[in-house]
Amino acid sequence: MSEEQGKATWDPKIIAIVCNWCTYAGADLAGISRIQYPPNVRIVRVPCTGRINPFYIVRALQEGADGVLVSGCHPGECHYLTGNLSARRKFAMLKKFLDYIGVESDRTTFTWCSASEGERFAKVVRGVTEKVRSVGPARRLVKSL
Amino acid sequence: MEAIERNLREEAKRLLAEKKVDVIVGYEAGTLPLTATPTFITDPAEAERLVWNPLCVHNLAKYVHDVITQHRNSQKRVKPESRTRKVVGVVARGCTSRSIILHLQERQYGREDIVIIGVPCQGYIDRKKLSVSLNGEEVLSGTIEGDEIKVMTGTGEKRLRLSDVLADNCITCRFNNPIISDVSLGEPASAMKAEEEFNEVNAFEQLSSDERWAYFEKEMAKCIRCYACRQACPSCYCPECFVEQSRPQWVGIGGDASDTQVFQIMRIFHMVGRCVDCGSCIAVCPMGVDLRKFLKKLDKDAFELFGSRAGSSLEDPPVLSTFKEHECEDFIYNP
Ligand code: SF4
Ligand code: SF4
Repeated sequence: MSEEQGKATWDPKIIAIVCNWCTYAGADLAGISRIQYPPNVRIVRVPCTGRINPFYIVRALQEGADGVLVSGCHPGECHYLTGNLSARRKFAMLKKFLDYIGVESDRTTFTWCSASEGERFAKVVRGVTEKVRSVGPARRLVKSL
Repeated sequence: MEAIERNLREEAKRLLAEKKVDVIVGYEAGTLPLTATPTFITDPAEAERLVWNPLCVHNLAKYVHDVITQHRNSQKRVKPESRTRKVVGVVARGCTSRSIILHLQERQYGREDIVIIGVPCQGYIDRKKLSVSLNGEEVLSGTIEGDEIKVMTGTGEKRLRLSDVLADNCITCRFNNPIISDVSLGEPASAMKAEEEFNEVNAFEQLSSDERWAYFEKEMAKCIRCYACRQACPSCYCPECFVEQSRPQWVGIGGDASDTQVFQIMRIFHMVGRCVDCGSCIAVCPMGVDLRKFLKKLDKDAFELFGSRAGSSLEDPPVLSTFKEHECEDFIYNP
């Protein structure tokens, strides 16, 4: 398969690591309400964004994910009160660092989305899929062996 | 410098003789010319071995942690009533004191377990720079006189300016005087070029994403994963590091370039708010990987986003162990 063909058939693979208490339910709501969004996300459910080891994101990129989306409860609404606030510091540092070493900034996205925001979840997924599509298939940090 | 060295020996002798400390962690002359090596002094008579000069490279906080942890582990099998404590005296310059502050904040030992002998610092000599200035010739003997180094090599005597061979992290150091100490020796050292500390990072940020990746890839391709950087790092004291964990195996051990890159990203990322820029990892790296370019970025971001500098004060919590309700919302995606 030539590279051109490869690009034409390529569809972004996005790992979404989401909080059980908000975004996961939000994604469910989007489904129940029959809101359409691109099928490019693979959802991983975690108890809280504070539970996410930055390593998960780096490993997802190494294993060939074209993008990673992390979504949790809006600040002040964390089920465990402050998990998302400590996560926010971690992710702010991680996003800047990955960009600094040359892993395109559009590959990592962080957002908040509550259980009642099915529409917002769909919008986020659409936006992220577009962003990732515009940077193209993952080339950096990807394991080849 | 000589006066400080004299005071240091006096002070060490006194602390040991008065049984204020069980061991002093300091530096002594190395076995090779123009080197210094960490030393552990328990006998007051041996205090004469201590030195303090621009050859003292290591961050001794690493050894403080090792000595205290080993002693504590050795006490586990002793009956609680007969357990002993070990008080460690340590010769600490600015970066060493910052690492000690981090250890204290991370509850690795108590303030009562250590006695800090603070020394002012004007930077240490980077062996790699020295070797480059000598065209790789072997040092047969050498002395430091003021800000000049006299080196004898196979082809004769050479004179170098100390400021030309100082380590990069020392040249732009903002914390060259100890932040906390129990005993301080000498007058505080004059400031280094702290205003230039982020210049290198700023310049790197200006490159394109492709150039930055190319540089990262090239540097990490040099790494042979000997883990010397981790062994030398005072913040790397985990009993079991993620690179050795096998359940789950966090990072592959094969020859794939991405495994090394991932190892480095994660080790560097474990240094958020914990890297004091002491240069130990760079000093020990056999392959000359430019780790500082990446570690310093974390320092800059933590400072710009959260106003925090690792180990710069005993009262300020480390950057990732605290948060504010309203801060750094601008990287959050809002479609
Ligand atoms: S690299 Fe990370 S896990 Fe390993 S010793 Fe250092 S801090 Fe601990
Ligand atoms: S010391 Fe250098 S070569 Fe060894 S693991 Fe660290 S970066 Fe790699």
